[in-house]
Amino acid sequence: MSIFHHNGGAVCAMIGKECAAIATDHRLGVGFQLISCQRPKVYQMGPKVCVGVTGLSTDAQTVYEKLKFRIKMYTLREDREISPKALTAMASAMAYERRFGPYFSAPVICGLNDKNEPYVNGMDSLGARGDENAPFIVDGTCDESLMGMCEALWKPDMNPDELAAVLEKCMANSLNRDCLSGWGMTIYVITKDGVSTREVQGTRMD
Amino acid sequence: MSRRYDQSTTTFSPEGRLHQVEYAMEAINNAGTCVGIVDPNGNGIVLAAEKRVVSKLLAPSKISEKTYPIDDHICCLVAGFSSDAAILIQEARLGAQRYLYTYQEPVPVEQSVKSICNYKQSYTQFGGLRPFGVAFLFAGYDINNGFQLYQTDPSGNYSGWKATVIGQNNQAGKSILKTDYNETNLTPNNNNNENNNNNENPLTPSINLAIKILLKTMDSSTPDSSRFEITLLTKNKRDDNEVDVQYMKLNDKEIKYYLDGVVTEEEKKKKNEASTSSDI
Repeated sequence: MSIFHHNGGAVCAMIGKECAAIATDHRLGVGFQLISCQRPKVYQMGPKVCVGVTGLSTDAQTVYEKLKFRIKMYTLREDREISPKALTAMASAMAYERRFGPYFSAPVICGLNDKNEPYVNGMDSLGARGDENAPFIVDGTCDESLMGMCEALWKPDMNPDELAAVLEKCMANSLNRDCLSGWGMTIYVITKDGVSTREVQGTRMD
Repeated sequence: MSRRYDQSTTTFSPEGRLHQVEYAMEAINNAGTCVGIVDPNGNGIVLAAEKRVVSKLLAPSKISEKTYPIDDHICCLVAGFSSDAAILIQEARLGAQRYLYTYQEPVPVEQSVKSICNYKQSYTQFGGLRPFGVAFLFAGYDINNGFQLYQTDPSGNYSGWKATVIGQNNQAGKSILKTDYNETNLTPNNNNNENNNNNENPLTPSINLAIKILLKTMDSSTPDSSRFEITLLTKNKRDDNEVDVQYMKLNDKEIKYYLDGVVTEEEKKKKNEASTSSDI
């Protein structure tokens, strides 16, 4: 099993009309054994920005904590919140610092900038960023299913409720087919009023 | 006589003094006054400062001149060279984040102060560099020790205070604190300043005391609200029993409100004294 699949987990982010949403599963495992079903991989890093980190759990934790450090310093120095685009660049630079001994984890950034334009982006473990204008970003053990589901169901300019519903469908169907991720799901919807969190019931708990 | 022993930081004088460090402390006494008051009822800390450079031509700074946050639960007031302070504040911020990264807990206030003081001390003993010409008032909250106020000076010494004043005319400020700082005076209902509302911020008497001290230490008799910088550090208990420390800088309108209240009260007191003395 690949090192990226050792602990399991999946994250998917999408943009809508002046809103963005990111969803995470809850599984933490060691190989095929389940350790915890209360480990979401998405963290709120600002009033309108969330970051999801998949991959090897220890590296995901470290990347999250290092990002928290750097974001705090940014906020104190510049006296303003970091934009998702700047956060992506920072995470990418941080990953490249470890080019020859990388973190086995890939952050996914999802948020609204200060003009309330939605932005999602992701990168691989070496810091290669994705498309700036991506409609959706997927990562994790079921990333291929997620990619297929998002491609089929995503359409532009969805309002927050529609976006949440589509995201839930994409995630639920992909997680249900994957034994290494799942065990619960949480969706974070980001609008100009902030981040609202919803734990989804009724997914397969296996 | 001290001329021979004051050129280098790392030389003691025959009387056992480090003159460079003492000269650095003199620099602080010319700086804008800073007042820190810990509310005796545990509601928070009031930090107030006099802004020195007020010219109409100065572009308004979004970031404040005297008060700086170090982390969510710690902030500081600066007296002395702003450029030296910027270096130390950056060190304090990095130190706080490093602690948070290692222990996943916010840094205890005293630890943060100690590490800055050790940094300052190394400039009085090694390298032939001059000391930092800055004194800080660090204010913060941690779960084990509640609200704390610390004063640091260029020598690297620090001390904890319930209330203190640094900068210009600090002796005048300290003498006011000696008489006016007590629990009865600083509890809202006991403080009969009718110029404030009844549903008041519990820190109001402390804010009023801080303003009163700054009025005494300032060299102008007609104070303008733009010369004051007032910051409050308070705490909210969250639903999950965690404590949220809030750092709130008062805006111009709020400062004016408290300032007017204090000025009116002072004038009333003067009139009362004048009228009673004429009864004799």
